[in-house]
Amino acid sequence: MKPVIDAHNIKKVYNPDTIPVVAVNNVHLHVEKGEFTALVGPSGSGKTTLLNLIGGLDKPDTGNILINDVDITKLPPNQLIDFRLHNIGFVFQSFNLIPVLSARENVELIMELQHSSKKEIDQRVVNLFRQIGLEEKMNTRPAQLSGGQQQRVAVARALASKPKFILADEPTANLDSKSASNLLDIMAKLNQEENMTFIFSTHDQRVIERARRIITLVDGQIFSDTARVDVNIPHEVG
Amino acid sequence: MVIIIMAWRNIWRNKVRSLIIIGSVALGLIAGLFVLSLYKGIMKDRVNVVIRQEVAHIQVHHPLFKEDYDPQYVITDKEKVREFLVEMDEVAEFATRSIGQGMVATGTGSSGIQIVGVDPEKENIVSQLNSKLIEGSGFDAAKKNQALIGKKLADKMHLKPGSKAILTFTDRESNIVSAAFRVAGIYQTDNAPLDERIVFVRRSDLNILLTVEDDFHEIAILLKDDEGVEGFGTAMQSAFPDVKIETWQELSPETKLMIDTTDQYSYIFITIIMFALSFGIINAMLMAVLERSREIGMLLALGMNRPRVFTMILTETILLTLSGTPLGILISWIIVTFYRNHGLDIATFGGEAMSSFGFSTVIYPEFPWEKMVTEMLIVVSAAFIASLIPALKAIKLQPVEALQK
Repeated sequence: MKPVIDAHNIKKVYNPDTIPVVAVNNVHLHVEKGEFTALVGPSGSGKTTLLNLIGGLDKPDTGNILINDVDITKLPPNQLIDFRLHNIGFVFQSFNLIPVLSARENVELIMELQHSSKKEIDQRVVNLFRQIGLEEKMNTRPAQLSGGQQQRVAVARALASKPKFILADEPTANLDSKSASNLLDIMAKLNQEENMTFIFSTHDQRVIERARRIITLVDGQIFSDTARVDVNIPHEVG
Repeated sequence: MVIIIMAWRNIWRNKVRSLIIIGSVALGLIAGLFVLSLYKGIMKDRVNVVIRQEVAHIQVHHPLFKEDYDPQYVITDKEKVREFLVEMDEVAEFATRSIGQGMVATGTGSSGIQIVGVDPEKENIVSQLNSKLIEGSGFDAAKKNQALIGKKLADKMHLKPGSKAILTFTDRESNIVSAAFRVAGIYQTDNAPLDERIVFVRRSDLNILLTVEDDFHEIAILLKDDEGVEGFGTAMQSAFPDVKIETWQELSPETKLMIDTTDQYSYIFITIIMFALSFGIINAMLMAVLERSREIGMLLALGMNRPRVFTMILTETILLTLSGTPLGILISWIIVTFYRNHGLDIATFGGEAMSSFGFSTVIYPEFPWEKMVTEMLIVVSAAFIASLIPALKAIKLQPVEALQK
């Protein structure tokens, strides 16, 4: 099976001309479809940088990143944005929902950017909110939602574009235990039922416990890459 | 659609700042539209004066008459012309005039004048001559050799109703003719130079002295409608190729020029106001972009391309600017309506200068509805220009850097 992500020899150095900081150093990474992977490691180990590079938000100094056979390091900026829109879903640590839009509009926005039809948007948005268990909160502004609910909306937004995979940067860092557990249940369910690929950067033991593959980064390099089979099955979402 | 909703709601994230900008736009529009209304009122009044008190819609002369106002050049085919004018539905009234160039002399001095022989009844309709009288009783049908003189000339020559003045001019045979006329009235128009130059006498009196019998040198035609003057003039010229037909625009080219240049000035004025306002808009939008750089970075990360981000900021700026527009239009319309009904007396602010240029000292502004499209284009253009810097700032954001803010 072709990997969803195939990164070779990627390296990223910040401040190369002053005080160089090697954030990611010669990393090779292959992620298959349907993986539920956690990038772990101490602060400054390069987790977020690696996630940004895979997500096409930043460019590596060397190496290639192939996503479904497309080398995103060679895409011009505008094409890269379009590529992200159609192929990559993002969930950020601090939710990053648009505060002036309702939960529903936040999700619709991505589909409108993809020029989806009104009918398709309506159907998919209702489906997504059903999946995240927030149908009754669709028309609520983010400020009126709890952190956990906002992050669930962020997951729905990430899924709205039907991406090849979802990158989640510390998705549970700002959530209480119950909300984090609920969010992980939703993600695990999506992973199992829809074979959606998830890659997390995390410190959170709760996430690590659910991951089926754990990649540990130390000083920008992969220290270990472990596959697990004894992970928890998701609880009922509600 | 969501982008427009987002742009509109973003405006109200900082209500105070947005309201200040909306208020500024409204104030700018009030100032601009009020000035445009004043210009329009002044020009409309001026055109009205030109048509109804000075030259009428159309004048007819012998083709050579106006070269040096030689009395021999009377209108040919006068009866046919008269018949034509009587038959035409478009014609409200017409007045025939005899004209002589000469001078007026009194015991205190002399002055160059144009003597216009009129039929008072017709003239009262075509040029509202009787309404201009400020002293004296006007022409008395029982008396001969009476003259109406302008206030400026009366002041200059120390003439009063009942005073006698000697009018000297050349007749049809180029003989110099002098005759004593008694001042029957003093008139005043909004056009001081005309008041100093034109002396009205009865046409029957002047024709005897000019030896032109029942001929005349000028026909002033007042149409029922201000529109269609050009068409009527052209039709009449075709019917009477031996006379010279001129419309009010040709007879008073300075008025036409003034209208055209005033339009241009008013657009320049509005543009300057909007240009000044655009700095405020730029500032507000730059603040908005800087405050939301993390959010914009997130949108770029999620896949909103740079042209869309640009469009979003542009839409936001235009919506912000246009929000002040209805308010500005409404308030300026209320102000203009008030002064249209009550008049704005500018006599104490250079009224004499206005009068010397042929303008009324009381202005009745007219709301320039016909210029609204252009106004809107100027407002939207200003908003577009003002949005460029913030929008460029927004699209230069790098998602990774912006998300860390």
